[in-house]
Amino acid sequence: MIARLLASLRGLLRRRRIEDEIADELRDHLEREIEAHRLRGVPLEEARRLALRDLGGLTQTFESTRAVRATWVDTLWRDISYAARVLRRSPRFTVTALTLLVLGIGSTSAIFSIAHAVLVRPLPYPDARRLVFLSGFEGVGVVWPNFEEWRQRARSFEGLAGTLADAVIVTSGPIPRRFESRGVTSNFFQVLGVRPVQGRLFDDADARPDAVQTVVVSHSFWMRELGGAPAAIGQTIAISRKPFIVIGVLPPGFRYMTPADVYRLLEPQVAANYRGMQSRNTRTTLFVIGRLKTGVSATAARAEMQTIADAVATEYGVTAKGTDVQLVALADRVVGDMAPTLTVVAGAVLLLLLIACVNLAGLLLNKSASRTHEFRIRAAIGGSRRALIRQLLIEQALLVVTGGVLGALAGAAILTALVSVAPREMPRLDEIRLNVAVLSWTTLFSCACAFLFGILPAIRASGVSGHGLVVRSVRGATRSSTAMRRALMLAEIAVATVLLSGAGLMVHTMVRLARVDPGFNPHNLQTVMFSLSGAEWPDARKQVFYDAVVERLRVLPEVENAALTYSLPMLGSNWWQVFNMPGITAEHWVSVGEFPNAGMVPVTAGYFDTLRIPLLKGRYFDRTDTPASLPVAIVNGSVARKYWPNDDAIGKQIRQGLPSEPFGPWRTIIGVVGDIKQEGVDQKMPPQVYLPAVQVPRTTMFAIARTRGTVSPSSIEAAIHDLDRTIPVFNDRTVDQVMRESSSRRRIAMVVLSVFGVVAVLLAAIGVYGVIAQGVAERRQEISVRMALGATGAQILRLFLRHGLIAAAVGVAVGIVAAMAAARSLASLVFGVTVTDPATLGSVAALLTVVTLLACYVPARAATRVDPLEALRLE
Amino acid sequence: MNKTQLLQGTLDLLILRILELGPNHGWGISSRLQQMSKEGLKTSQGSLYPALHRLEMRGEVKSEMTASENNRRARVYTITRAGRKRLTQETETWEAFALSMRRVLGEGR
Repeated sequence: MIARLLASLRGLLRRRRIEDEIADELRDHLEREIEAHRLRGVPLEEARRLALRDLGGLTQTFESTRAVRATWVDTLWRDISYAARVLRRSPRFTVTALTLLVLGIGSTSAIFSIAHAVLVRPLPYPDARRLVFLSGFEGVGVVWPNFEEWRQRARSFEGLAGTLADAVIVTSGPIPRRFESRGVTSNFFQVLGVRPVQGRLFDDADARPDAVQTVVVSHSFWMRELGGAPAAIGQTIAISRKPFIVIGVLPPGFRYMTPADVYRLLEPQVAANYRGMQSRNTRTTLFVIGRLKTGVSATAARAEMQTIADAVATEYGVTAKGTDVQLVALADRVVGDMAPTLTVVAGAVLLLLLIACVNLAGLLLNKSASRTHEFRIRAAIGGSRRALIRQLLIEQALLVVTGGVLGALAGAAILTALVSVAPREMPRLDEIRLNVAVLSWTTLFSCACAFLFGILPAIRASGVSGHGLVVRSVRGATRSSTAMRRALMLAEIAVATVLLSGAGLMVHTMVRLARVDPGFNPHNLQTVMFSLSGAEWPDARKQVFYDAVVERLRVLPEVENAALTYSLPMLGSNWWQVFNMPGITAEHWVSVGEFPNAGMVPVTAGYFDTLRIPLLKGRYFDRTDTPASLPVAIVNGSVARKYWPNDDAIGKQIRQGLPSEPFGPWRTIIGVVGDIKQEGVDQKMPPQVYLPAVQVPRTTMFAIARTRGTVSPSSIEAAIHDLDRTIPVFNDRTVDQVMRESSSRRRIAMVVLSVFGVVAVLLAAIGVYGVIAQGVAERRQEISVRMALGATGAQILRLFLRHGLIAAAVGVAVGIVAAMAAARSLASLVFGVTVTDPATLGSVAALLTVVTLLACYVPARAATRVDPLEALRLE
Repeated sequence: MNKTQLLQGTLDLLILRILELGPNHGWGISSRLQQMSKEGLKTSQGSLYPALHRLEMRGEVKSEMTASENNRRARVYTITRAGRKRLTQETETWEAFALSMRRVLGEGR
């Protein structure tokens, strides 16, 4: 084999010489033959003619002789260089086809790689298919006591582990810093099947009440904070000022849901009744993962868990949380709410690939139709059918391979770009790589498309015998491919309609979202969080510190106003609570069906001024509200309208908690303020009760500064650190940023759909133009005859525009129907507009009709300029 | 029997037979062919050269580029040992075939 290859290579080098020799040999033959004829008295010209005739043509004999000498390397090389020459000779075709391939293969591979990494690929845990995620009713977590019941009674699992995401203050350097942390039960890592890269992970002994406090850290924490040395194992770090011994380091890239740096045991926290975890009424709930025993189905496990949850509910009363249980595959849960976005994006890409392939198909059909003549001539002069097909295959392969390579490069570039703009909360972002399988599939798809539309028609054409080499039959053979091209044109218009409708809906959604009045001015609001935890921060000290922070921020030159709040607008309510009113019993509320409830928001005086939330009635909090003064509250419009519809809310009293379990004193309502979008732009404005932070101090607060233009968040952080260096300050961001992040899923869908929609419309326009232009070119003679017989330009124009109009009508109609069916996948993303919005669909239909007609008009206009005299010249 | 198309494979045999008489170039072979068959067999010159090169690839003839008159180059072919062997073998086969053909056709007359 190697010897043959070497021989072939030598042959390649010798090729030139061999060709020269053959040419010399044949020339010698001709000279001798001519001489022989001359000797017999034949004139030179005639002798030359006879000699050439007898040799059977110089070129042909040369070729057939050389073919004897050629090795397969020669042949392949010749075919490839011939193919390259063919492609170079028609640069417009080649560039267009390559663009389509690169666009199709590149974007599809990139997007599908993301979809694959996020949606399809198994989780990075051993035997992950047996992992399930359990939660309570409506996806809320389960309280610890019920989790313990589950764990004792359930038989479907090898293990059930609880976990709770958290954030902790870690002191391993001079300044305490905040890290994402996760509380886990001692069997958590065992259930996931993770092994440490250093030290060990938790075991049951670590969870015993008398055990020393231990902690497991992430690989990046170990590298950054502990120097990445094995000696870090056994070292002590302070978490919330308590000592913990580092016992193990997780593998790099380990991640469960949100990334965390510090993993602590839950059992000691429960033992200390942290956040009331021993109670069934706490809001602190766990999420549970389980590893199913081999052979146990998720359905069986779900049934068992439902039985257990029902039993627990009966034994401990219906008020116990966790009376219902949800059990889903962990993989499904990890994907979470990115799934609809990815489905939409992947669908859009698939449609774009489709349209690119359809266009490529049209292009190849045109090409092969225009080459039918060439094929016939080659067949007529004795080119074998096999050689012809091989030549075509090589041409297509050259095109697709080049397109594939460029497409892969484009795919990698697009992927990098997409990952860099993707929202940080997107699951498994760090696991995304350009997927080779995906790339192969899209390339294969394009190859199949090229073969189907580029080679099959050519084979058919070449199958016709060389004797059919008459102009008329050349024209006739293209008729069936014309029909196919028309069908492809329809398909393109339809697909473009679908994509553009999706884009229209998303643009509409974003416009609606941008127009939403959040109830306050969200621009130029810089925020940071800070935390006053520990025994050295009694309430009295907190109250003083709150004032100091606000004062310090207000003197910053770039800050207009500043305030503190417990819940940042747009980020949801951190404290949702039931409240009650004097003289109204619990029974009354039970009969109504719901206790009064609202988001409780402790804020400092000046909060409403800073955010520009309008005062509807009464007064804002001010300096007269102190820890010692009358307990007061401000309600928003929703609360006032709901509970005092016919009355003035000012002066009324409310108290947090159930009537039987009150929390804090009775508070007098002193003001009513406007509703705001506390939970996010696309959410309803919730009922809210504002409390003076000085009367209800909290550990962790947001500082909000209304700034002039943009301000470096570090200056705000520095202002707080000026007051106390030991306070952890974190999560600096602007409210604008929060809003942008919350709409990132929609923005991805909008950008992808819009870009793809525009590209699709362009492609469709090019496709329509190509088909009509080809039609005009093929019917030039007919047109000139018609014009010679007196047809006017307008009549000719109408002839071709009719095709376009039919295509537009049918294509758009099919597209709209498909768009309405496909729009259901957009349902969770649209806002303020229905997925079948007639205005959007109508304008998309109109736009595509206009584009189609325009794409028809240009070539049709050219048809009217055909010279009637051409009819005479052509035949 | 007028100008007959050469039966497949017989061209090789004829070329080898001519070269057995001495080295020759393509045109020489072509004209010898016509002479030998008394103009009865006319080979297409177009198929002569591929056949010659095929024989060379099979090692049954070898060739050399030589300078000829008028500053031209000609390729001169020489039969090889393997070529002679094949000629002997195939001549026998051909004669046996021709004999049977004659018998059949003679009897039918």
